[in-house]
Amino acid sequence: MPERVVITGCGAITPLGATVEDTWQGLINGKCGIDYISLFDAQDFNVKIAAEVKGFDPLHYLDPTTAKYSDRFTQFAICASLQAIENAQLTIDDDNKYSIGILIGSGIGGLGTLTSQFAVLDKRGPARVSPYVVPMMIADNASSRVSIVTRIMGPNLSLVSSCSTGTDAIGIAYKMIKHEEIKVMVVGGADAAVTPIGVAGFSQAGALTRNPDPFTASRPFDARRDGFVIGEGSAILVLESLSYARSRGANILAEVVGYGATSDANHITQPAESGESAVKAIQLALASTGYDKVDYINAHGTSTPLNDLSETRAIKKAFGKKAYETPASSIKSMVGHMLGSAGALEAVVCCKTILEGVIPPTINYKDPDPECDLDYVPNKARLKEVNITISNSFGFGGHNSVLAISKYHE
Amino acid sequence: MEQNIDNAKIFGQIKEAICKVQPGIDETKIIPDAKLKEDLEIDSLSMVELALAMEDACGFLLPDEELEQINTVGDAVSLIESKLRGQNA
Repeated sequence: MPERVVITGCGAITPLGATVEDTWQGLINGKCGIDYISLFDAQDFNVKIAAEVKGFDPLHYLDPTTAKYSDRFTQFAICASLQAIENAQLTIDDDNKYSIGILIGSGIGGLGTLTSQFAVLDKRGPARVSPYVVPMMIADNASSRVSIVTRIMGPNLSLVSSCSTGTDAIGIAYKMIKHEEIKVMVVGGADAAVTPIGVAGFSQAGALTRNPDPFTASRPFDARRDGFVIGEGSAILVLESLSYARSRGANILAEVVGYGATSDANHITQPAESGESAVKAIQLALASTGYDKVDYINAHGTSTPLNDLSETRAIKKAFGKKAYETPASSIKSMVGHMLGSAGALEAVVCCKTILEGVIPPTINYKDPDPECDLDYVPNKARLKEVNITISNSFGFGGHNSVLAISKYHE
Repeated sequence: MEQNIDNAKIFGQIKEAICKVQPGIDETKIIPDAKLKEDLEIDSLSMVELALAMEDACGFLLPDEELEQINTVGDAVSLIESKLRGQNA
């Protein structure tokens, strides 16, 4: 009998705030966390906006040495992990340290560190490059640092699957717990790619909006959408087996009830137009719960012309007529695309939606696209009792990943 | 007299370099007898960072085999001092 897997803690640092609660309040009030780029001089860039984490001081959370030798994405991950562990009231000690694992994904890794050390290499030569460049840059550094800070000593893993990273990390952790390989996982994603090469690279790939207005640029499913807004941050959850959660008297926030992952096998950036493999991922995630009970879809909804269309088609194919009755909103309208942490934040938002009975809106939705004709919860949050949600994540390379999260029932 | 002034200056530079690679360190621990690894918790990666910071402060390259001989803050001061003497000779 597989274990049931429950969520007992959430942490986040996002463009809308340095906590889950601040982020949630921003989301349900339709606040936009996107603004002009402040992390570097973007004057010569054709994209000048991003969803940055504002006013982040790593020394507020980390000791000076850890802060100095951690890339910004790792700093975010540590911050969000400590919040999640505190929220779960999880004590890590000699009795359980090997029963807890870490899986923090990052779509990009330490791009800021790599960029600054390339400048050192270029200007001052190889003998001046920091010995910390590799450990700070590699995507698994977030998990390693969190292990060191928290003394968690179970599996220490990372995962890279582009913009599906956060969702896949949670999905894999869910399977590890379900099949009793581990009792607890601290899991999620982190990214900090609002750097010159990050913005230039996504822009050249045609992925970023050219809309210069930060407050209306991210407009998922709207007819005038023309690309996503790059974001940054981290979201981390504590997942554990129901039996372990009960044994320690943990407060259970929600339950993970399914995960589906497929690949388009089609193109390195574009989603497959048919949406066939995305439909399959939704089917896999809902294999044990069925479609009828889904009350809310947390859409990937990047605001790119192709994603929002193919996602809409996939939802319609998967849900049939019920697609039109099921609200599907995109928080990327407010926090931009937080890349490898997006899916993790969206899982946190699914928890909050279930707990609070409020669905966050898709803001900046003005002009309907005839081909995107679902209920995207336009512009205003909606009160609704939510029992079962799915969260979609799709990524460069054809990743399709879907989590199903349910209200916890004994 | 000149050498004493130089030693104090070099010690100051080394201390500054250690503070740079180990931010937040208790500066009172940085004394000539302090062992870099055991007392100041400078690991192998930070040792390379420290060497880079020392080289920046002093303006010349420090060969790996000479850096490997450094165990204490005093050893680092002596190494820089001998390099400066060599330059002046």
